[in-house]
Parts: sequence; C-alpha cells; structure tokens
Amino acid sequence: MTELLGYAIPGIPFGCVFALMAIGLVLTYTTSGVFNLAFGAQAFVSGLAFVSLISDGWPRWAAALLAIVVLGPAVGLALDRLLFRRVRTASPIVKLVPSLGLLIALPQLALIIAGSVPTIAPPALFLDAQRVYAHVLGVPVSGLELSIMVATAAVVALLLVLARATPLGLQMRAVVESPRLVELSGINAGRVGATAWVISSCFAGLAGVLLAPLYSQIDPQNYTVLLVWGIAAAVIARFESIPLALGGGLALGIGQQVLAGYLPPGVIASGLRPSLPFIVLLVFLPFGRRNRIEDPLAGCDPPPSTMVEDARRYRPASALAVGADVGTRAVGLWHRALGAGPSESLAARAVRRPTTVVAWTLAALAVLSALTWVPADWLLTMTQGLAFGTVFVSLTLLTGMSGQISLCQASFAGLGGFVAGQLATQMGWPVLVAGVAGGALAALLGVIVALPTLRLAGLPLALATLAFALLADNVLFPVSWLGDGASGVRLPRPSIGPVRFAAARPFFILALVLLVVSAGVVKRIGDGTTGRYLFAMRGSETAASSVGIDVRKLRIGVFAISAGIAGVGGALYGSLQGSLVPEDFNYEISLVLLVVAAIVGLGSIGGAVVAGLVYTTLQRAVATLPTRYAGLVAVLFGLATLSYTRHPEGIVDFLAGRFSELWARLLGALRTPGYGRDAPAPEPEAEPAHGVARP
Amino acid sequence: MTAGAPALDVDGLSASYGHLRALFDVSFSVDPGAAVALVGANGAGKSTVARVVTGLVPAGAGRVRIGGTDVTGRHAWEIARRGVTHVTEGRSVFSSLTVEENLVLTFRATLGRAGVGAALERSFAAFPRLGERRGQSAGTLSGGEQRMLALARALGSPPKLLVVDELSFGLAPVVVEQVYAALDRVRDEGCALLLVEQHVDRALRLADRVVVLRKGRVVADGPPAELAPKLDELVLGPGPG
Ligand SMILES: Nc1ncnc2c1ncn2[C@@H]1O[C@H](COP(=O)(O)OP(=O)(O)OP(=O)(O)O)[C@@H](O)[C@H]1O
Ligand SMILES: [Mg+2]
Repeated sequence: MTELLGYAIPGIPFGCVFALMAIGLVLTYTTSGVFNLAFGAQAFVSGLAFVSLISDGWPRWAAALLAIVVLGPAVGLALDRLLFRRVRTASPIVKLVPSLGLLIALPQLALIIAGSVPTIAPPALFLDAQRVYAHVLGVPVSGLELSIMVATAAVVALLLVLARATPLGLQMRAVVESPRLVELSGINAGRVGATAWVISSCFAGLAGVLLAPLYSQIDPQNYTVLLVWGIAAAVIARFESIPLALGGGLALGIGQQVLAGYLPPGVIASGLRPSLPFIVLLVFLPFGRRNRIEDPLAGCDPPPSTMVEDARRYRPASALAVGADVGTRAVGLWHRALGAGPSESLAARAVRRPTTVVAWTLAALAVLSALTWVPADWLLTMTQGLAFGTVFVSLTLLTGMSGQISLCQASFAGLGGFVAGQLATQMGWPVLVAGVAGGALAALLGVIVALPTLRLAGLPLALATLAFALLADNVLFPVSWLGDGASGVRLPRPSIGPVRFAAARPFFILALVLLVVSAGVVKRIGDGTTGRYLFAMRGSETAASSVGIDVRKLRIGVFAISAGIAGVGGALYGSLQGSLVPEDFNYEISLVLLVVAAIVGLGSIGGAVVAGLVYTTLQRAVATLPTRYAGLVAVLFGLATLSYTRHPEGIVDFLAGRFSELWARLLGALRTPGYGRDAPAPEPEAEPAHGVARP
Repeated sequence: MTAGAPALDVDGLSASYGHLRALFDVSFSVDPGAAVALVGANGAGKSTVARVVTGLVPAGAGRVRIGGTDVTGRHAWEIARRGVTHVTEGRSVFSSLTVEENLVLTFRATLGRAGVGAALERSFAAFPRLGERRGQSAGTLSGGEQRMLALARALGSPPKLLVVDELSFGLAPVVVEQVYAALDRVRDEGCALLLVEQHVDRALRLADRVVVLRKGRVVADGPPAELAPKLDELVLGPGPG
C-alpha cells in the first residue's frame, strides 16, 4: 500500500497539470468549436515568463500574476481576435491549421524575445518546493506537490462555482448549446465566448507555471508532452465534460507514475509510458461526444463550404494538374471571351489555361537553371525541396484529396528513410532497392495506422495521428535496428550499374524523376474513378458508403499509398543528406509539414511542389542569421496562418485563381472593348432563387 | 426611435445562403400594435424573412428598420435588446438548461437583475404548466410545452415586436388556442406581431394584414378579408391551366 502510494502521490501533481490543460481545451472547444492545440504553446510562454521574471529578480507573486492572469489571457484574446474567431464554423482542417501553426510558432517567438532560457531551477508557485510539509500514510508530501494540488483545487472550485452559480456561467452553458439562440436573448455571444477563451487561457497559463518546477529546467519539449496528456484527458472527457476532464487528467497523471514505478526499467518502461496517451486516445476517441445536443439554429448557416466551395475547387481533372486553374467565374468569363468550343487547338487550350502554361514554364526554367548555373549550395536546397516535395505530394493525396488529416506524415517519411538506411548499410542492399523497400514498409505502417482509426474523421483522426507520431518518436525510432536514437543511420547516395548519383546534378535529376513519378501516381488517382470516390468520401463517408463505395478499403488504400510515397521521399532526403537522425522526422516536423502544405496549397500537386521548395528555401535563408533567430522559420509559418484563415485554399491556388481571372479580363477587354470594365459578370438573375446562383 | 414610425419596416430586402438566393426585393411593414401574417408555400422564404429581421441571417441588400431605427447589419443581440423577440421555427429553447434558467437568461439580459422576479411571475401566470416544471430541464418538456416556454420569453415584458415562426406546428388544437390567446394578450399590451404560419386560417383570424411570399418575392400584401378568397392561388402560383 505504501509502495503504491509512494508512486501515486508524486503522480498527483502531474495529474493536476494535465487536468488544467484538459479543462482549458474542453472549455474553448465547447464554447467556440475550436480545439486549441496552441494552449500547449501558451502554457510554455507563461511558464517561460514566470521563470524568466524570477531569474530577473521579480518577486514570485508578481511574476506569477503577470504570467498567469496578464500574459496568458492577453495571448489568448489576441489569438481569438486575429485567428480563431474567423474559423469557428469552418471545416475541421481549417480550424486545426492555425492552432498547429501557433503551437509551433509561439514557443520559438517567446525564445527569440527572451533571448535565452533561464538556467535557474524553476520555483514552485508558492511554498518551498523541496521542504516536506506533511506525510500521508508515511509518504512525504513536498511543498512542490502541495502547491500544485492546492492551486488546482482552488481554480477548479472557482470554475465550478462560476459555471453553476453566476449569470456568466449560465450564459456560457447556453452558448455551448447555441450561440445564436443566446444572441436572440439579447446577449453578446461573442463576448461570452471571448470570456470563456480568457478563462481557459488562464488555465493554460497556470498549467504552464505549475509544470515548470516539475522539471529541473524549462524546456518546450515538456510542454508538448503536457499538451498530449491534456488532449488524452480531454478525449476521456468526450471533449465536453469538465469534471471528467479533471478526473481523466488526475487518473492519467497517477497512472503514468504508477506504471513507471512498477514496470522494469528499459525499453518497455520508457516506451510504454509515452505511448499511454496514444492508447487512451484509441480507446476513447471512437466514443466521441455522446448525446450531443444539436444547435437548433444551425439552419441559419449556408451549407458547409466543403460541399459548395470544394465542389468547385477540387475539380478532379483540372484542379490536380500542375498549377490548377481555379475560379469557375474566370473559366466562364474566358469561355465567353473566346467562344471556345468543345474541340480546340493546343494554342487555344494554352490561352484558356494560362496558369498551366505559366507553371510549366516556371518549372522548366527552374530545372534548366538547376542543371546549369545554380551554385552548389542552392542546388542542394533545391534538391532537398524536391525530396520534401515528394512528402508534400503524399499529403496532397491523403489530406487534400481524401480529407484525412494526418499529423504523422513525417513518421512515415522517417520510417522509409531509416529502413532504407538499415538495409543499405547493414544488409548491403543497393540503395535504390533499399529506398523502394523503405517506401513499402512505410506503406505497411500506413495500413497499421489506418486500421485502428477507421472510424475516426476530422479532429479525432488528427489527434490520433498526432499521438501515433509521438509513439513513433518515443518507441519506434530510438531502437537500434531502426532510427538508432541519437546516432542515427547512414544512407549513401545510390548508383545504377555504371551510373552514379553521387554528384549534385545527377542526384537532382534522380530526385526530380522520383517527384514526377509520385506526382503522376497521385494525379492518376485523382483523375480516375478512385479520385471521384475519394472526393465523395471527403464530402461525407456515410453518403459515400451508401452509394456502394467501400470506404474502409478506400481509406486503407489511400493511407498506404500516401505513406509509401512519404517513405520514398524520406529515403530520398536521407540519401541526399548522407545520414538521418530521428529529429529529422519527429512529430514536430509532421505538424510543420501539414501547416506548410495547408498554407501553400493542399488542393493541387503544384502546391505540393511549391511547398517543398518554400520549406527548404526558407530554412536555408534563416540558417544564415545568428543562432538566436533559429526559430524564425517557425514564427513565419505561424504568421502565415493569418493569411490562411482568409484563403484556406492556399497561396498557390489563390494566386492561380487571381491570375486566371486577370487573364480572362484581359482577354475579354481585348475582344470586346469596355467589357471587362463596366459589365463584370452579367449573371442571369432571372430566377436562380431555388437553384445555385453563381456570384 | 421615431414617433409614429412602423414597428417594423422591411425595404427592398434580399438575402442568400451561400450561393443560394432566397429573397428578392422583399418590402412590407408592420405598424405598432398591429399583427401581420406572413404566408407562403414551403420554401417560399418566410423563415428567411424572420431571420433577416432579427439579425440571424445577413441582408444582402435592402434595409430593416425597427421603430424607425435602421438595424440592418446589426448583431442579433443588439436587435434583441431593441425589443425584438424571435420565437424560431422548431426548437427554440436551451435543452440543457432548466425551464427557469431559460427564462432567467433572457430576462436578465433584457430587463436587468431587478426585473427578473416579476417577469418570471408573469410568465408562470400565463403558462401555469411551466411554473410546475420550473426545475425540469427544457429538453425533457413536450413539444407543446417547449413552444410555451419559447413564447414565455416574450411574456415577461412585452417586446416592441414579436416574430413567431410556425408557432402552432405540431400542437394539439387546445394548445394552439392557448398559445394564440397568449399572443392576443401580448398584442393588447401594444406589441406588434409578425406571424409566420402554415395554418393560414388560424393566423388570419388574428392578423390585420397578410403578406404573401412566393419563391422569395412578395406577391400580395393586403387585409385578410380581401386576400382570403384567392389565397390558394396566390400562395401556389397560377395553375398549369
Ligand atoms: N441554411 C440554408 N442553406 C441553404 N439554403 C437554405 C437554408 N435555409 C433555407 N434555405 C433555402 O431558402 C429558401 C427559403 O427557405 P425558408 O426556410 O425561408 O422557407 P420557409 O418559407 O420558411 O419554408 P417552410 O414553410 O418549409 O418553413 C428555401 O429554398 C430553402 O431551401
Ligand atoms: Mg420556415
């Protein structure tokens, strides 16, 4: 008994912080529909501020006040205003990307501002952390543990009183059910939502400050772990129940310590503990929100954009061509301008698809430059861009075309790279064959991820894949026969018979060929019948299966192919670099990949290629700055989410659409003088009342 | 607030859901203390008019004035604070809150802390059944009781304009009479009414004017006596013959 308690009591403080995090997540999710993963980052910012201020000589209470009740809510409110308020009714991925971008960007921004991580041991919120204040059944309770428990109990009690016994609490419970109905009662639902957001930001800030002294130094890594445990507890709470979030957090905190205490040290123990959140997620996610009450006024919203907007954006054949021509309005305009008929010459097609022409011209120029005058270091960056372009293409297939949000794409890529490296160096396989084998094993891993997550979609699927990425980081990649921990694996550049790809330019061509092949595979899938099935599945899985599409098989297949392509991309990257370490493909890279893909453009293969090049070029550009600014790329991605909330189709498709529109206007102006100016869109407004009226 | 201005004035209103246009140049007005019935076939746009008036759906073009004040583009809560109550189509109560909490939520926001007690009493006096069930969660009320609760929000303190969408839908005849009696009472206190009804006959007994919508446009606007004989044709459009 005392032994059990001896493990359990140190688990309680962890449980408290997990619970605070989970409560924050649940509170914003129920009141605003956004699952704010950036709370992990907000907790870090508050924790860092607390410790930094104290190391600057501030009194503890002042530092705590500033970090928890000023900084926490200020950051939260700013994010709500600038980002989240715009996406409340958007599709799951549009809601997720800004919070992911911030999760990556905020800690780096804070570190850049702070200059350095304070080296002092973080103190407890109050009391003396080391001193033993009491004994429970013979188990000592330190000031650290006591302070965390007291603080948590106090704020949770405060929250419950607020929710049950105050007008604001009543309003918050009503907003959960229907913000519109609340507005009809004369209450500003937006303000109620913002208040909930402020409160939950305080919870995140408090969690961050309380977590700091549990480790010897403040480290962003620990805050991601906190976030993941918090997510697990929020999932136990079915995203809706605050008492269950508290209970779930405590149970997980205690459970992980007890497990760690009883299990033998070694891989099982060190691997099992980090995988606990993943197991919890898989067990609890399928339950979802049980008897969720529908918003009675949902009928005031226009149909969700996935059905109307995307049907126009993701035209299977044209949109997945390089440099997709989006904007049906523009299509209509230039059709009219040209009087284009069904059969037309190549030249007429070129005029009609200006973005395709421009995209191919740019691509050809880039390849020519790479093969002639580009200096070696930039050629390397371009080749890296092609390798990552392959990984991005895999996301286009999985997330862009099929609507499956994957936060473990880097794990697939990493597995491909590590397997290829092991086969090439340990077994002496030819590198190209090893790379293909790596891709195949990654595809197998894709199936392994797809199977237990078959019933998940949207946010739950994203969380499950995130948990899987962490599992891979903690359990799969450290083992010696795979990623081999810190030492990593070597992977030489390949050769086919006499043709050697060791030099930079031949390798560039190899990378280009692999990218084109994977892009071709994805394009074929997108243009064919499968593409239409995927599109149907993307709209609604239930509807798709009701018309006889085997959604399970489709999902497993698409996960396998996507993971396989990512694996080949990972092997390609490894071979280019000469070696790989697990950090090259950890969960954080997965998040970055999805954010970059979404910002640049998930809807087209052209977007994926551009994303690869942007990703590596930016990193290279920032590498020339002093080390303090190493996190600048992450900050840039975070800022880019600001544009993303306005143009969720991505920069590439947005620009392509704008360009085609301009082009069409230009053509129109040439054909019929004055047409582009005073009669922009002569829409037949006769009786589109009960049909679709194009704007 | 302009003296003598109509309680509600809708002028050249159009509205869309995404790319789907639902209203075209709709104009009509409701005088203070008057009752106007908005009738039309399914999908004619009646609920959309109600939603635009109370700020739930944005107006694409045109103006909405409440008591002479332009409220176009205002938030729903601002419009509600100007004395407009909207009993929406379908469920119009918070299922997870109790009967009393549902009412307190509205009364506190519109009347302030001091007015809540008196308003609760008035509502429970109008619908004693609600008083008996004040601690019960609203989701477990019967459909008729839920409609009563939604209407009771307007009874605590009569609004300037009450917009009611399909009040009698799914109610037993006795209950229909009960809720209409309540409407009568609110109107006697000077509240203007905009009634959306499928069951035209019952609405026409109460209304001073009828506005007929067809496919998002106003096709007739006049006193019930004048329009009642040809109402079927107005609602459904000219027959095939
Ligand atoms: N949320 C929505 N998204 C898209 N279209 C909508 C939406 N709500 C209503 N519509 C369309 O707008 C038009 C008008 O709808 P509205 O609900 O105003 O009709 P109504 O006259 O109230 O019909 P009913 O008598 O059936 O309630 C209909 O064609 C309907 O299909
Ligand atoms: Mg209706």
